[in-house]
Amino acid sequence: MPRSLVGGDLAGPEMAQPYMKKDDDDEEAVEYSPFFGIEKGAVLQEARAFHDPQLDARRCSQVITKLLYLLNQGETFAKVEATEVFFAVTKLFQSSDAGLRRLVYLMIKELSPSSDEVIIVTSSLMKDMNSKTDMYRANAIRVLCRIIDGTLLTQIERYLKQAIVDKNPAVASAALVSGIHLAQANPEIVKRWSNEVQESVQSRAPLVQFHGLALIHQIRQNDRLAVSKLVSSLTRGSVRSPLAQCLLIRYTSQVMRESSMNSQNGDRPFFDFLESSLRHKSEMVILEAARKITKMDVTSRELAPAITVLQLFLSSSKPVLRFAAVRTLNKVAMTRPLAVTNCNVDLESLMSDTNRSIATLAITTLLKTGNESSVDRLMKQITNFMSDIADEFKIVVVEAIRSLCLKFPLKYRSMLNFLSNSLREEGGFEYKKAIVDSIVTLISEIPDAKEIGLLYLCEFIEDCEFTYLSSQILHFLGNEGPRTSDPSRYIRYIYNRVILENATVRASAVSTLAKFGALVDTLRPRIFVLLRRCLFDTEDEVRDRATLYLQTLGGEVAIGNSEKDAKDFLFGSFDVPLANLEASLRTYEPSEEPFDISLVSREVRLLPLQEKKAPGKKAPAAAAAPAPVSAVDAYQKMLSSIPEFSGFGRLFKSSEPVELTEAETEYAVNVVKHIYENYVVFQYNCTNTIEEQLLENVTVCVDASDAEEFSEICSKPLASLPYNSTRQIFVAFEKPEHVPAIGKFLNLLKFTVKEVDTSTGEADDDGVEDEYQLEDFDIVAADYMLRVPVSNLRNAWENMDPDSERVDEYGLGVRESLAEAVSAVINILGMQPCEGTEVVPRNARSHTCLLSGMFIGDVKVLVRLSFGLSGPNEVAMKLAVRSDDPEVSDKIHEIVASG
Amino acid sequence: MILAVLFANSDGNILIERYCPPPLPLSARPPRDLAASCMRSAGIRRFHGVPAEERLHWRSFLVKLGSENLKGSKNEELHVASHKSVSIVYTTIGDVCLYIVGKDEYDELALAEVIFAVTSAVKDVCAKPPTERLFLDKYGRICLCLDEIVWKGLLENTEKDRVRRLIRLKPPVEP
Repeated sequence: MPRSLVGGDLAGPEMAQPYMKKDDDDEEAVEYSPFFGIEKGAVLQEARAFHDPQLDARRCSQVITKLLYLLNQGETFAKVEATEVFFAVTKLFQSSDAGLRRLVYLMIKELSPSSDEVIIVTSSLMKDMNSKTDMYRANAIRVLCRIIDGTLLTQIERYLKQAIVDKNPAVASAALVSGIHLAQANPEIVKRWSNEVQESVQSRAPLVQFHGLALIHQIRQNDRLAVSKLVSSLTRGSVRSPLAQCLLIRYTSQVMRESSMNSQNGDRPFFDFLESSLRHKSEMVILEAARKITKMDVTSRELAPAITVLQLFLSSSKPVLRFAAVRTLNKVAMTRPLAVTNCNVDLESLMSDTNRSIATLAITTLLKTGNESSVDRLMKQITNFMSDIADEFKIVVVEAIRSLCLKFPLKYRSMLNFLSNSLREEGGFEYKKAIVDSIVTLISEIPDAKEIGLLYLCEFIEDCEFTYLSSQILHFLGNEGPRTSDPSRYIRYIYNRVILENATVRASAVSTLAKFGALVDTLRPRIFVLLRRCLFDTEDEVRDRATLYLQTLGGEVAIGNSEKDAKDFLFGSFDVPLANLEASLRTYEPSEEPFDISLVSREVRLLPLQEKKAPGKKAPAAAAAPAPVSAVDAYQKMLSSIPEFSGFGRLFKSSEPVELTEAETEYAVNVVKHIYENYVVFQYNCTNTIEEQLLENVTVCVDASDAEEFSEICSKPLASLPYNSTRQIFVAFEKPEHVPAIGKFLNLLKFTVKEVDTSTGEADDDGVEDEYQLEDFDIVAADYMLRVPVSNLRNAWENMDPDSERVDEYGLGVRESLAEAVSAVINILGMQPCEGTEVVPRNARSHTCLLSGMFIGDVKVLVRLSFGLSGPNEVAMKLAVRSDDPEVSDKIHEIVASG
Repeated sequence: MILAVLFANSDGNILIERYCPPPLPLSARPPRDLAASCMRSAGIRRFHGVPAEERLHWRSFLVKLGSENLKGSKNEELHVASHKSVSIVYTTIGDVCLYIVGKDEYDELALAEVIFAVTSAVKDVCAKPPTERLFLDKYGRICLCLDEIVWKGLLENTEKDRVRRLIRLKPPVEP
C-alpha cells in the first residue's frame, strides 16, 4: 500500500475523506481503515515533521494519531525509537495549536519516558503548570504527575497545593486525581495537602467533591477517628455528586463496622444516613446503600426497606440495575434466605431474562430461598431454562441443586430426576462431571436415594463419552452396588462396558465385576464366568486384572490367612496418601531391595496453607525450603544411610524446619525433629554466612534437663563449615517406647573459628574456640501425631469401637474469636481437619470440627470437637475422641488438658 | 479501579485498549519502579504496565464474551457479567463493541456510569453511533476523550459536553 493512502484527517473536526471510493451500489463493500497498511518505520519517518521550523499542526496531529494507533495495537518501540519520538514530540510545545497541544500531552503520557528523559520536558510542563490558560495547567499537572519521581514532586508540590483549590474545577480535579495516584508512592508528601483537600471536599463542583473525598479518605484511611469525623460531618451536610455519595456510603458503613467491632452495645449512629440514602434520587446511590445495609448485622425490620428497593430494581428496564439487585439478593439469600422470599415472584420472572448472568443468579437465589413445597415447580421451570445457557452457568445451577437437595432430602426424587435428565443433554466434561459429582454426593448423604441414583449412573455410562467419568462411576458402583437390595441388576451395565468400551474403562469394569463377586456370594459363580471371558481381552491390563481376581477370589492363590485378607489385599484402600506413594515410587531406584510401602510417609503435607500463613517468610537455606511431598522419604533414606541411626526402625514423622536463629544473623541454624518409636533425632541445618570465617569441629550441645524422659545417645558433629554452605549436625535421643514424651531442649552451637583471606580463600592455621547461643525448642504432643485424612469421617467414626470413646468438656476462657480457638486446638493436636470443618463461618456462635490423625504406634485417632460461645467470646469445648486404642484416647485428653 | 477499557470491532479486532495495573487480582506485584526496572533488565515488554500474556488473556476473554452475547443486541444496550472478583459492563455502539472492566469500588453500577460517559463522548465526537470507519477517522479525538474520562483507573470526567471542551483545551462551563 503506498504511503499516500495511509493517514488522513484523523484529528480534525471534519469527516475524513475515504481513500478508496466506496461502491455506492454495494452497501456491504469493505470499508478501508484509515490505518490500512500502516507501518511503524514509515510513521517514525513522518514524525520528523515535528522538527520542522514551520510546524504544520494538522499534519503533526495526524502523525501523533498514527503513533497512538500503533501503540494501541500493541506495537512496541525500541528504546532508541521511543527516545527519538519523545524528543521530537517535545518540540511540539512550540506550537500554540490547542488540539495539537492536547495530543502532545497524551503522547508524552503514552510514551512514559524514562527518568533521564523526563528532564527534557519538565521545564516546558512546569511553565504550562503556571500558565494563564487553565487547561494547560490541568493537563501539565496530569502529565507531570505521571512521569516524575519523588524528588521532583517536592519541587512542584507548592503548585499542586494551589491547583487543588483552583477555581477551575478541571484544574482542581486534575490535581486531586494526581494526588490519589501519587499517594501510593509518596504518601508522606500527599499527606501535607490535607487542608487544601479538605477544602475541596466542600467544593460546589460535584466532580471536585468526588475526587476530593476519595483523596482525603486515602490520606486518613489509617486514622479511624479522623475518618469517623469526616463521615459524620459529611453525612449531615449535602453531598452533591451521586458518585461522592456512594463513596460516603462506603466509608460510613466501614466506620460502622469498625465501631461495632469495638463496642458491644451495637450503637449505630450512621444507620439513619444509610436508610435515608435508600430514598436518594440516583439509582446508583440507592443500590449502594441497600448493598451496604444487607451486608450489615441488622434486624429483619432494618433489613426490610433495603430488600424492598432491591425488589423494585428487579423489574427495572436497565440490565445493570437488575444484575446489581439480583446479585445482592443472591448474597443475602446465602445467610438470610427468609428475608428474600418476598422477592420470589420477581425472581421467577427473571429466569427468562435475556441476560444469562441475571437469569442464573435469579435461579440460584430461588434455589436458596425456595421452600420444600415449591421445589417441584421450580425444577420444572429450571428444566426449560437449562437448554439455552452456557455450561459454566449450568454448573452453577447444578451445584445449587445439590445443596438444595441436601437441605430437603425428601425431595431427592425430583432432583435426581432432573440431574439424570441433564446428564442426557449435550454438555462438556466439566458440566457432566459436576452432575456426576452431585449424584455421588446425594447417594452418599441420602440413603434412600442410593438405588435410584446408581441406576441413573448406570444409564449414563451406557452412553458416556468421557473415560474419566466412566471409570469413576464404575469404581463407585463397585463400592456401593454390592450393598444394595438387588446387586444383580447392575451386572448387565458393567459387563456391557467390558464389551463396548476402550481399554481403560474395560479394566475398571473388570475390577468392579470382581468387587461384586467378592462381596456377593450368590453372584460369585456367575461373575467368574464373566471374568473368564475377560481373559481373552486384547489389552494386557484387562487380562492381568481378570487373572488376578480369578486366582485370588477363587482361592487358587492364597493371600494371607483368610478370605478377608484376600479381599483387603484386592480392594482395601491404601492407607497412604496417593501423592506420597507416587512420590516414593518416583524416587525408588530398581534394585535387589523391593519397594516397601510401609516406608511411605502417611503424613499429608499442607503446603498451600502454610504458605498462606507465613507470607514473605522465606527460608534462608536450601535445606529449609518447603519440604516437597517426598521430603519424608528423603529424610528416611538419608537417616538410614547413617550407621548410627540405621537401627532406629521406621521413621514415623519429620517436622517442618524450626528456625533457631533470627533472620540475617552470622550463622543460620534450623532444626528438623525426626520422631521414631523409641528415639528422636534432631537434624540441625547450619549455614555459615560470614565470608571471612571457616568453622571447624562444629557441634551442638543440647541441654535436655527440661526433658527428663530423653537421654542423649549419640551426636554427629561437623568437621568443617565453610562460607555459604549448609551442612547437618545430628543429635539422637532415646525415649520410652510409644510414650509421647515432651520436653524443652536448650541448644548451644560450639565451634572453632578460623580467619579466611577472602582474596585467596585460604584459612589461617590457628583458630579460636567460640560458641553461639541458639533458641530453645520443644518436643510437643503434636510431634507424635501424623496428619492423616479420612474420606468419610462420619462412617469412620461409626466403624470405630464406641468403647474407645472418651468425652470431656473444657473451658477455653476468653478467646479472640471462635475461629482462633478452633485453630489453636487443631495446632495443639497436630491433626488433619476433615470435610472443611476447620473453617468457622462468620458470626457463628457454635461450631463442630472433625479431625483425624495417626498417633505414634500407628494408632488411628478421630476427634470430634464441639465449640460454643458463651458470654463475650468465652469459649467452651466438648472433646470426643475415638481411637484404635482407648489409652490413646485418654492421652489425647491429657494433651488438650495440658495444652 | 477501572482495570481495562477496550474497543473492538464486530469481528473482535482491537481498536483501542487501555489497562491499568494491577490487571488481574491473581498475583501481588512488586512496586511500580522496581517492576519497571526488572522489566527493563529482563527486556519484557509491557503495555500500560500489563504483561503481554495477561493482556492477551483479557482480550480473548472479553471478545469471547462479546461474541456470545452482543450479536443482535440493541445499540447501547448494556450487558453485564462478573468474573472472579471483577465486573464487566459492555455494549455495542454503532459497529463498535466497548468493554469496561472494573473491580472493588468500580462495580457494575459505577462501570455503567463510566460506559455511559464513554459512549456519549464517542457519539458526540462522531456525531452519531459510529461505523468502524468513522470510529477510526476520529481515532485521535476518541483517544483524547478516553484520556479525559478514565485516568489510570479512576473516573475523572463524566459529562460529554465537558469532555468535548476539555479535549479542545477549553475550560469547562460550570452550571
